[in-house]
Amino acid sequence: MKFINATTCPWKHAIGEDGPKPDPDPAPHKLLSLEQWHAVKGRWPTTTPVAIEFPNDADITQLVPDLDRIALVVLDFPKWTDGRAYSQAHLLRTRYKFAGAIRARGEVLVDMMQLLARTGFDEVVLRGDQSKAAAEKALAFFSDEGFYQGDVAETRPWFLRSRSAA
Amino acid sequence: MAQETLSFCCGAAFPKVAASPSLARCCPMYQYTDFDRHFVRQRAAQYRDQLERHLRGELGTDEFRALRLQNGWYIQRHAPMLRVAVPYGELSARQLRQLANIARTYDRQPDGPFAGQGGYGHFTTRQNLQYNWIPLVDSATVMELLADVDMHGIQTSGNCIRNITSDAFAGIAPDEIVDPRPYAEILRQWSTLHPEFAHLPRKFKIAISGALEDRAAIGWHDIGLQLKRDDAGHIGFQVFVGGGMGRTPIPGIEISPFVAWDHILVFIEAVVRVYNLAGRRDNLYKARIKILVKAEGQKFVDAVNEEYRRILADDPAGHEQLIPQAELDRVKASFVDPAGVQAEPAVTLDDSDPAFARWLARNVHGHRLSGYRAVTLSLKRVGIAPGDTSADVMDTAAALAERFSHGELRVSHRQNLVLPWVREADLAELFQAARAAGFATPNAGLLTDQIACPGGDFCALANARSLPLAAEIAERYQDVDELVDLGEIDLHISGCINSCGHHHSGHIGILGVDKDGAEWYQLTLGGSDGSTLSGTTTPGKVIGPSFAADEIADAIEAVLDTYQRDRLSGERFIDAVKRLGLDPFKTAANAVRVSTAKAPA
Repeated sequence: MKFINATTCPWKHAIGEDGPKPDPDPAPHKLLSLEQWHAVKGRWPTTTPVAIEFPNDADITQLVPDLDRIALVVLDFPKWTDGRAYSQAHLLRTRYKFAGAIRARGEVLVDMMQLLARTGFDEVVLRGDQSKAAAEKALAFFSDEGFYQGDVAETRPWFLRSRSAA
Repeated sequence: MAQETLSFCCGAAFPKVAASPSLARCCPMYQYTDFDRHFVRQRAAQYRDQLERHLRGELGTDEFRALRLQNGWYIQRHAPMLRVAVPYGELSARQLRQLANIARTYDRQPDGPFAGQGGYGHFTTRQNLQYNWIPLVDSATVMELLADVDMHGIQTSGNCIRNITSDAFAGIAPDEIVDPRPYAEILRQWSTLHPEFAHLPRKFKIAISGALEDRAAIGWHDIGLQLKRDDAGHIGFQVFVGGGMGRTPIPGIEISPFVAWDHILVFIEAVVRVYNLAGRRDNLYKARIKILVKAEGQKFVDAVNEEYRRILADDPAGHEQLIPQAELDRVKASFVDPAGVQAEPAVTLDDSDPAFARWLARNVHGHRLSGYRAVTLSLKRVGIAPGDTSADVMDTAAALAERFSHGELRVSHRQNLVLPWVREADLAELFQAARAAGFATPNAGLLTDQIACPGGDFCALANARSLPLAAEIAERYQDVDELVDLGEIDLHISGCINSCGHHHSGHIGILGVDKDGAEWYQLTLGGSDGSTLSGTTTPGKVIGPSFAADEIADAIEAVLDTYQRDRLSGERFIDAVKRLGLDPFKTAANAVRVSTAKAPA
């Protein structure tokens, strides 16, 4: 899991003097909202990868045609107990074989680490008061033997792993 | 001693003696593997880390809340409440003794206004056990004690997939089609710490029935599973979805007539994924899957079927989620009959003692094996809340299980304990022992075998107390002949609209409501849990305005008097309600109003 510092992260919002630009010009390392992406994707060079912030109440399948142009999908946890983004990440990784980065932002807490890792997230922006050391410790629980059900990191449920090990 | 020579039962290691296969297993329940045992210990260690961060001030109250909830810890009116999972209701004597030990040692209020309270557990309608008085600082220690006997509180609360419930007579019922326990265990494992479904819009409850008679109220669950055999003899599940109580009681609808058993995890994954993405999160009261199913109807059914198809067709690992035959066989091997148990000639019992005869008629149930019976140990005692069980009573029940039932017990939906493996030849002896210990009230299925939540005495959510009313009914109807004459009646009492006491499914349902800070009770008639006796799953209908606390017991009595007056010969209460309609009962209940007669509430 990569712990991202939002201020030093190279991916930057496309913001003008009056807030987010409705149709930003193509440039490297742009972090676009879904609305911005829809506005510009027709003229955005296919050789310039983008990052997209995707809301957790929209249908993730609308990104599927563009996945090979996207380097990073940022999924949202408006509240940490709102678990929609776990399903979005799972679908991106498994069904749509997205190979770029998936980042969690919003109310991202230490005790979500395992859920995030297991559903396909590989980057997090922790909420300001959260400890990276505690997050790394949280990731270590269950790491030796794993879990019952398959997940994005280990697709085989325990009932398959235990047999292949035997 | 080398690892290979040890066998395990409910957390206890003991030597495996090849010459004596009966010693190779202690009770016919799921036997934890090293993996299972390691897993609950890791969970206990994870919880201890979270608790300690919370106590050090590093983990805020709100954030700790959702974590402790998924381990079964609520903050209640006076102290934290711990809900321990009893998966599909199966409990060993050894586990019950540990639960007694926890009640005795940790369920204690040492000081404050409730000093001296505690020392007991409360068996719930969903086959769990709740403690009401354990101090939060001891909670991690209690999780470790539970792990010692292969138990936990994982996902017994919170907005996740809850403890899987089933028929208390699973594996022994004469009307069983397929034993649901191996499937329930596989589902338990699959749902445990599922990363995608840990924060659903709302709680999610699954129940499985494998018998002709539905004793698990599957129509009232978010997912209800009915095991079936198709014409070719293949095993699968009829799947219901969207059942639930609460303030909008809705019976589940059939979403699939038959899902092959090895596909069931994939099908449930499809249901829960559609719900996780589309279920409402803007309004707590509209967040259950029943609201989504009702709002979207066929569109929801189509979405689930499409998701199910795509997991299998498009997800690279989709087929890895199918249950292999070898895994089913492995889990099934835990549920073989106890050593030495086999059909034997039926025993003719001397029932000349009327008390024994009544107990046989009410609390002793059929068994698929000739010469064996299942026996209800009633937890309904005058002066004790339904389901409440002291540490000493738990120990006594464990001793009875060891002596008469191969160390196994079941927790029933009706908040009683069941001994599943009693020889007919031992019934007379068991009756004496159960009577001496206060377990033999011959009321299983009768009025005073009532269901009640802990209510306003304990629960922070409740609007009204349920236990004093349950106690008053138990006191009024102590005469066994009268109870038998009233016949089978499901009396269900909930202290609030969360419906933990299942008032919607009671033939007589009582709901506590709050008006201007006072306790009031709404009376419903004609609800059904979906059993043959009660009829199609349906919520009861409300009789008039709420009754005051000092009127409600009289109103119930008036309803019962009306039934006795107007019934046809042999007609049961629920059938009389269906035939007569609400009016005669309503008239009788209104006639006993005192305070509400002047100013209807």
